[in-house]
Amino acid sequence: MQRFFIRFRELVSCLTITIAACSALLWSTSAVAQQKKISFLTWNISDQEELFKEWIAEFKKIRPDVDVEWLDKKGPEFPAYYQTQVIAGTPPDIINTQGGLWLEYAAAGGLVDLTPYLTKDAEVRKRFNSDYLGSWVYESKNYMLPFYISKTLMFYNKTMFKEAGLSGSPQNFEQLMDFSTKMAKGEKTGMLTLNFDWLYWSLFKMNGVELLTADNKKAAFNTPKAVQVLDALIKATNNGGINKVSWTGRWVEPNGAFAAGNVGMLQAHSPAFFFIRGQAPWINSNTLGVAQAPGGWATPNSHGLGISKGSKNPDIAWEFLKMVTSQKWTERLSERRKVLTANIASDKTTLDKMHKQDPLAATVLQTQLEQTDKLTGNWPLANDSRIKEAFYPEIQNAVLGRKTAAEALKDAETKVNRVLGF
Amino acid sequence: MSGLTSIGPNISPSTRRKPSAASPGSKARRELILVWCFLFPSLAVFFLYRILPLIWNLVLSVQKFSIFGQSEWIGFAHYWALLDDEVFWMALKNTLLFIASAPCGIVIALMISLMVNTEIRGRNIYRTIVFLSYPLMTVAVGIIWRWMYDEKVGLFNFILRTIGLIDTPLAFLQSFELALPAVLLANLWQILGFYMIILLAGLQNIPQNLYEASAIDGASRTVQFFRITLPLLRPSLFLAFVVGIMTSFTSFDLVYVMTQGGPSHSTELLVTYIYKAAFELSRIDYAATLTVVQFVLLVTLTWLGNRLSGGEAGAGRN
Repeated sequence: MQRFFIRFRELVSCLTITIAACSALLWSTSAVAQQKKISFLTWNISDQEELFKEWIAEFKKIRPDVDVEWLDKKGPEFPAYYQTQVIAGTPPDIINTQGGLWLEYAAAGGLVDLTPYLTKDAEVRKRFNSDYLGSWVYESKNYMLPFYISKTLMFYNKTMFKEAGLSGSPQNFEQLMDFSTKMAKGEKTGMLTLNFDWLYWSLFKMNGVELLTADNKKAAFNTPKAVQVLDALIKATNNGGINKVSWTGRWVEPNGAFAAGNVGMLQAHSPAFFFIRGQAPWINSNTLGVAQAPGGWATPNSHGLGISKGSKNPDIAWEFLKMVTSQKWTERLSERRKVLTANIASDKTTLDKMHKQDPLAATVLQTQLEQTDKLTGNWPLANDSRIKEAFYPEIQNAVLGRKTAAEALKDAETKVNRVLGF
Repeated sequence: MSGLTSIGPNISPSTRRKPSAASPGSKARRELILVWCFLFPSLAVFFLYRILPLIWNLVLSVQKFSIFGQSEWIGFAHYWALLDDEVFWMALKNTLLFIASAPCGIVIALMISLMVNTEIRGRNIYRTIVFLSYPLMTVAVGIIWRWMYDEKVGLFNFILRTIGLIDTPLAFLQSFELALPAVLLANLWQILGFYMIILLAGLQNIPQNLYEASAIDGASRTVQFFRITLPLLRPSLFLAFVVGIMTSFTSFDLVYVMTQGGPSHSTELLVTYIYKAAFELSRIDYAATLTVVQFVLLVTLTWLGNRLSGGEAGAGRN
C-alpha cells in the first residue's frame, strides 16, 4: 500500500510537470505567433547603427505587433551570407544591395516585384528621381527602391593641373589621355579609375563603344573604335599616365593613391570623396576640382532596398520600406552619411544645407543629380557578374601588357558570347 | 501440485536459471554496445559536418542549382564545362605550383632545423624568430607583404633600387610573371616556422647513439645525414609535406588579400576560384564541381605522398 502511494505520488508529480511544461510551451508559441518579425540586411553601413535603431523604434510605434531585426554585412561577405540564408529558408525580409547584384536575384525570382505596391501607393513612386528609380527595373518590373545613390565623376588635383600647365577638366577622351600623360612625371601619375562594378566603363562609352547589341544577346564591343580606345589606355598605363592600380586595386588602394596627392585625376563615385578627404589634408576647394567625366557619362553604383521572395511578411516589409524612404528618414540618412537618396524633396533639402555647411561636398553631391539620363554600365542582365568576369580580365590582360588590344577584345568577345549563349 | 517442495519462490524447472559464469559472447556484445555509445556522438557530428556535405556537394555537382527555385539534373555537364574553362586550368596550374613550392620550403626548413638543433649560442632565440611568422594572422601577413611589394612605396623596390639591381620599380603584384612567385614567397615565409618545428621535433627524436655508433664506424657527416637522419625523419617529412599540400589548398586568405586572384587570374587558386564561382558568380553547382575535382586531387596527392614516403604515413619500411 505504501509502495502504491509512493508510485502514485511520483506519477502525479510527473503529470504535473508535463502539464506545466506543455502550457508554458503553448503560451510562448502563441505569444510568438502574435508577435511578427521582419529582418533587414544592409550592405556595409554599420556606422549608421543609431539611425537604424531610430527606424526600428519608429516602426514599433506604427506596428507594435512587429519586431524588427537589423543585420549588416561587409560587401564581400554579403552574397555568401544572403545565399546561405536563402538556402536555409530564412532570408532576411528586406535586403540592401549595391550595384548590379540585385539583377541576379530578381532574374532568379528571388525578389518581390514592387510594381504593384508602387501602383497602389503612387505617392511613393513620385518621391523618387525617376532615372534612379529606373535603375532597378528588370523586364518592366521594379524590384527595388533607392536607398542611397551614387555615380561616377571626375575628381582632379588642381595643383598637379597647374604644375602641368593645364586648366579645367578634360572635355573628351583624347584630352583625358593627353592630360594624364602630361601629369605623369617621376612618382606622379596622371589618372586613376575605380574598376569594380563597371565603374571604368564610361571610358569606353564616351567613345561610343557599346558592350552589347540592343537586344542584349550578343557582344558588340569588338570594334575598331574599341581597339583604339583600349590601345590608348594601354599606352597611358605604360607611360605612367594611368596608374596601374586602376586595373588591379579595388577601393582602398586607388582612393588611397589619389589621397596621397600624386595622381592628377580620379574617376570614382561620390562616396570616394569622403574617404579621400579623410585621408588627404591637402584637399579643399582650391586644390580639388570636381566635374562630370567627358560626355557626362557615368556608371551608377547605387544602393537599393528590396523585399526577399522568401519573406513571410512582404506587406509588413513594404510598410517598413515606405517609412525608411520617406522624406524624414532620408534626410536623416543624408545628413549623417553625406549621401543623396534619390528622394527628390530630401535631396533638395540636403543640398541646400550642404551648400552652406560644406560647399565642396555639396559640389560633389550635386554631380550625382546631374545628367542622370547618361547613366551607363548598368545593363539589365541576369548574368551580369559572369559577363563582367568574362570581359574584365581580358581588359587587364591588355592594359598590363599580356595581350594586344585587338587580341584581348577578340578573346573577350568569345567569352562574353559564350556566357550569353550566343 | 506435486514437485513443488522448495521453500523459495515457485520456479518451474524449465525456467530455473542455470548457475553460470557470464557468457563471453554477451559480455563482448555489451562492450561493443558501450564502445558504440561512446563513439556515436563524435561519429554523428563527423557524419553531419563532413560526410553529408561531401555527398551533398557531389549531388550539387550534377545539378543545375538555383537558390531561389527548382534544381534539375544535368549529369556531367559541369565536368565537361571544366575542360573548356581557361580559368580552371589556370587555377589548377597555380595550385600545383603552390604544392610544388612545399618541398622547397621543407628543404629550407630542414636546413634551419639542422642548424638550430646544434649547440650554437642563442639557438632558442633563432627558433623563436623563425617560428614567429606562423602564429600571425594570414590576413595580416597578406597586408604586410602587399605593402612590401608596393610599386611606389614598397620595401623590396626600395632595396632593389638602392643596391642598383633595378632602375624602375617593379609592380610585383600587378605583373603576370611576378605576382604568383610573390604570393608564394609570402606563403613560404609564413609556414617556414611550422615546418621547422615539425622537423626539429623529428630530429630530436633520433637516438644519438646511432650517430655515435656510425661515427665509430667511420661514417662522415654526409653519410650520417643520408643514412640516418633522412630515413628516420621520414614521418616528419611526410607530415610537413601533407601540411604543405593542405596549405596550398587552403591559402584562400593570403591570395584574396594580396591579389584577389589577379591580375587576370594569374594568382587564382582552385580554392579562390571555388569561392568566386559560388559567391561572386552565383554558380554554386559549378563551385561544387570544382570542389569535387579539388577533393580528388587532394586525396591523390596525399596517397602519392604516403607511397613515396614508404607507406603508413612515413613510418613504413623502418
